[in-house]
Amino acid sequence: MAAMAKITEEQALVERFRRGDDSAFDRIVERHSAEVAALANRLLGWPGDVDDVVQDVFVAAFVHLKKFRGECRLRTWLFTITVNKCRSHRLRRRRRLRVRRLDDVEVTAGHDQTAERPAMDEETSVRIRGAVQALPRKYREVVVLRYLQGLEPGEVGELLGIRVNAVQVRLNRAKKRLKEQLGNLLEEKS
Amino acid sequence: MSEEQIRTLLQRADAAADAPAFGPVSTGRIRQRIHRRWFMRSAALMTVAAVTTVAATLWTICMRVEKSPPEPPAIASLETQIEQLRAQTDATLRLVQEVLEKDRQERHLASLEAELASIPDPKFEIERQVDKTAFILVYQADKLYKELSQTESAVAAYKEVIQLFPENRWADVARERLSQIERRQINNSDKGEAKCKPQSA
Repeated sequence: MAAMAKITEEQALVERFRRGDDSAFDRIVERHSAEVAALANRLLGWPGDVDDVVQDVFVAAFVHLKKFRGECRLRTWLFTITVNKCRSHRLRRRRRLRVRRLDDVEVTAGHDQTAERPAMDEETSVRIRGAVQALPRKYREVVVLRYLQGLEPGEVGELLGIRVNAVQVRLNRAKKRLKEQLGNLLEEKS
Repeated sequence: MSEEQIRTLLQRADAAADAPAFGPVSTGRIRQRIHRRWFMRSAALMTVAAVTTVAATLWTICMRVEKSPPEPPAIASLETQIEQLRAQTDATLRLVQEVLEKDRQERHLASLEAELASIPDPKFEIERQVDKTAFILVYQADKLYKELSQTESAVAAYKEVIQLFPENRWADVARERLSQIERRQINNSDKGEAKCKPQSA
């Protein structure tokens, strides 16, 4: 029921935006910016500063929101834009000249979920994140979306434009590679 | 290792990382960004258009400069080149004419030589005529001697051949005939003397 209510509310916001109410877009940003930033941060290799990508994502959303047909959740649609922007950003990374680091940092929901867990030592966490970043793009994306963003395989497939079977295959291959790269670390830490 | 264990590990590693930093996203900022992008695109397009126009103008000017009449030194140089080409052409034509003339002369000489070759050798012709005459004389003498039994006329004819053509082969034939006639006459005289001698003897 809560999900349905959320969807209905999203549709209402989109409809308000279509009618020229900019505050509706501000509400959408307020609701999804943290998740978009977290996803961008994970896809880009935890650089910390993801302002450019987040801005690009919402600029694209602002421009194309009137064409949003509501065939998927707004969150999924924003994640699709985020994935595409991160792909472009990785390609342009070397050419990027300006990096801005702002003070008001927002914490993602994913971090809240893991806040109570015992802290992992820095070396191990860096090693695990490095292993994720070392994965080929198609494996890295499914790992981030499935395990860190918590999306269902069907949702990941819809977002990436692939079938659920393909998502599972990519996840299995990604796990195999992670095991190869991390060796015994996974066994010990688990 | 289960999927859940991997998920847990990855989430813990993610939690240990720095939180993502990003600036406030508002409709006003987004509009500014869109405007800035539009301005940059317009500026880029205008720059490209300006560069293209300048390039086209420069190209047109260059083409006009190339089509303008050449300077006097260039004309002189061209005339010199034309003269050189003309001289070369004349020399080539002369050479061709000389070659043709030489060929014509050679062909004429060859025809003359062929004509000369067709004329019989006079010395050989004279020898042939001499041989023929000697043969006729020998033939007549043979006829006088064998068919007409005019030995004296025949002997005179053989002697004439020997006298006139002493080196000819028919002179040898005539000598042989004369010797035959002499031998026959001697034989005949021997037979007449034997008839005149008495039977008893």
